[in-house]
Amino acid sequence: MRQLLALTGSDLLQRLRDKSVVIFALAVPMALMSVFNLVFGQADDIEIEPVTVAVSVPAGDDLAAVLSDVLRSLDGDELDVTVEEVDVSTGRRQVEDGDAALALLVPDGFGPAARSGEAVTVEAVRGDEAGLGADIVLSVVDGFLDRVAAGAVTARAGLAEGVAPTDIEALVEQATDGGPAYDLARGEASDEQLDAGAALVAGQAGLFLLFTVSFGVTGLLVDRESGTLARLRSMPIPGWLVVASKALVSFVLGAVATGILLGLGGYLFDADFGSVPAVAVLVLCATAAGTSVMFLIVRVARTSEQAGIATSIVALVLGIGGGAFFPVSAAGSFAWVLDLNPVAALLRGLGTTSGGGGLGDIGVPVAIMLGFVVVMLVVARLVPDRGVLS
Amino acid sequence: MSDDVLVVDSLVRRFGDLTAVDEVSFRIAPGETYGLLGPNGAGKTTTISMVAGLIAADSGTVTVAGLAMTPRTTEPKRFLGLVPQELAIYPDLTGRENLALFGRLQGLRGTELKGRVDEVLTLIGLADRAKDRSKEYSGGMRRRLNIGIGLLNRPTLLILDEPTVGVDPQSRNAILESVEALSGEGMAVLYTTHYMEEAERLCDRIGIIDSGRLQAEGTRDELVRLTGGVDTIRLGGTGDLAGAAEELRRIPGVERVEAERRTAVLTVRDAPALVAQVVGTAAARGVTLADVEIARPDLESVFLHLTGKGLRD
Repeated sequence: MRQLLALTGSDLLQRLRDKSVVIFALAVPMALMSVFNLVFGQADDIEIEPVTVAVSVPAGDDLAAVLSDVLRSLDGDELDVTVEEVDVSTGRRQVEDGDAALALLVPDGFGPAARSGEAVTVEAVRGDEAGLGADIVLSVVDGFLDRVAAGAVTARAGLAEGVAPTDIEALVEQATDGGPAYDLARGEASDEQLDAGAALVAGQAGLFLLFTVSFGVTGLLVDRESGTLARLRSMPIPGWLVVASKALVSFVLGAVATGILLGLGGYLFDADFGSVPAVAVLVLCATAAGTSVMFLIVRVARTSEQAGIATSIVALVLGIGGGAFFPVSAAGSFAWVLDLNPVAALLRGLGTTSGGGGLGDIGVPVAIMLGFVVVMLVVARLVPDRGVLS
Repeated sequence: MSDDVLVVDSLVRRFGDLTAVDEVSFRIAPGETYGLLGPNGAGKTTTISMVAGLIAADSGTVTVAGLAMTPRTTEPKRFLGLVPQELAIYPDLTGRENLALFGRLQGLRGTELKGRVDEVLTLIGLADRAKDRSKEYSGGMRRRLNIGIGLLNRPTLLILDEPTVGVDPQSRNAILESVEALSGEGMAVLYTTHYMEEAERLCDRIGIIDSGRLQAEGTRDELVRLTGGVDTIRLGGTGDLAGAAEELRRIPGVERVEAERRTAVLTVRDAPALVAQVVGTAAARGVTLADVEIARPDLESVFLHLTGKGLRD
């Protein structure tokens, strides 16, 4: 034990002194977090500018008046909509002058035409400077017109079937006013979903964890190249102690760096990951998973350069596949494979904790990460050894 | 039971189709310096890798201080000090930290560890640079630290694998003096080299290794006798050297003369004793000598004699 601590302590001291760990494990991911936050961080805070809609409604057309009412009803906390009822030419001019983002020009005879099943066109004029708010208004108008079109279809069908005109009007109103057969409830996103800032921090922490742990285990290859591994093997210590010390170095570096990234990143980018014990368990499991990959890499890599390249490939594949840069979705068996990715499991677990989950709620991601460790260690035992672990 | 510190018996190691070490056997007694002399690729490093328990032998045994050495055994390694050919030190640790780390791994602790580290730092002349990181050392200083680590545990058997490769002449001489001093203190030393002069200077006995096989072993003189123990005198100059050859052959002690127009090579029993008579005879025949060269058999000649090639081929 004393010798294991001596080796581990010495290795950690060297890693800190050569500063590459500090750069790759902390400085680079923090810099990337800052850049990504600058580029993508505003996505959640889009401000929709107030929308002025000029509406031309034929006098006495009650169905067209409903359109005006629908538009006015959009005005609320999230959307600022001002409806101005104008004539057709004023509506066009207001849009051209930029006084209105949108003009909706309802033709004369709109209501009767719709009720009798005749085709009718509502003209929408969108201003050049109109933004997202105008698009939202347009989509609402589109929905309204769909309902009107449903009434028109009902009227045509009634006429074709010989329904009395008085009855047709009732049917059209029913088709136009009747609500859909389903109800869409609005709620919060899934508990496992991190918000943009937290996803950014967690994703970068997960990605760079894989680079950080490489500083320990792949150090075996550096030791072999420099001759220190031969010297260590000539010491009166069991062979596994050298490997164990490197694994311990990987684990300590990975856990500490990821903890710092989540803590500092959370503070700087306003991300709250929730229960500290649960987050700690997730970090330790993710670090174990990352370290286990390194055992496979040192089995197949002949040199430290090869190990570095292999680490970069594995880190990027697992990082991107796990959603380190952007959410990744897939269907079928590929989705199942993606779910077994330790980076995805870490992000999923952090999503659970950030949504208020505790130790009892992170069983699945923890099981995935520990399962990944077992699989990697078994595979590492099975692949042909190129020397460093023999 | 043998008193020998190291007993290597019928060691074999293959890498695929290549037999790197083939039935190598030798022994080293306490206080003895044994040299493994051979060109690059002869099997020296593979042999000492098995002796130090770094790799397993396909067959044969290694016994260090009476204990069987394999890669899995730790006890015999307590008696061992290994100085690899590469600079097996950590550049981001200071000289003292390097020594302390390997001292701890060898089981030294507390005041004993500190005392040994201080002693070794003084021995290798790095006491005043002990707090500097070893990457700031000169090549010679790193080489000395590399050797110092091998001495920390006062090993019964010190293995030095080509410790002077790539070393400047001054540092090289310092290393050779250190090895001589250690041998004088009773430490058994296994020294591999492809430098004939080092083997002649340091080693009590020498094993000549080539193509994985130990071709011969013995003291320097024993090995030289394998060549027949004859010297050569080479004459170069103008005049009738071919005509002088007959008279040169008649000198007692001259065994053979091979003469051409401007050169003659004489195979003799004792060149220093005969050279004056040889030069006088040639001059009497009207030969004007431009150069006279005496060659006595050395380990290079032994190697050439045994393998048909030079040490640096």
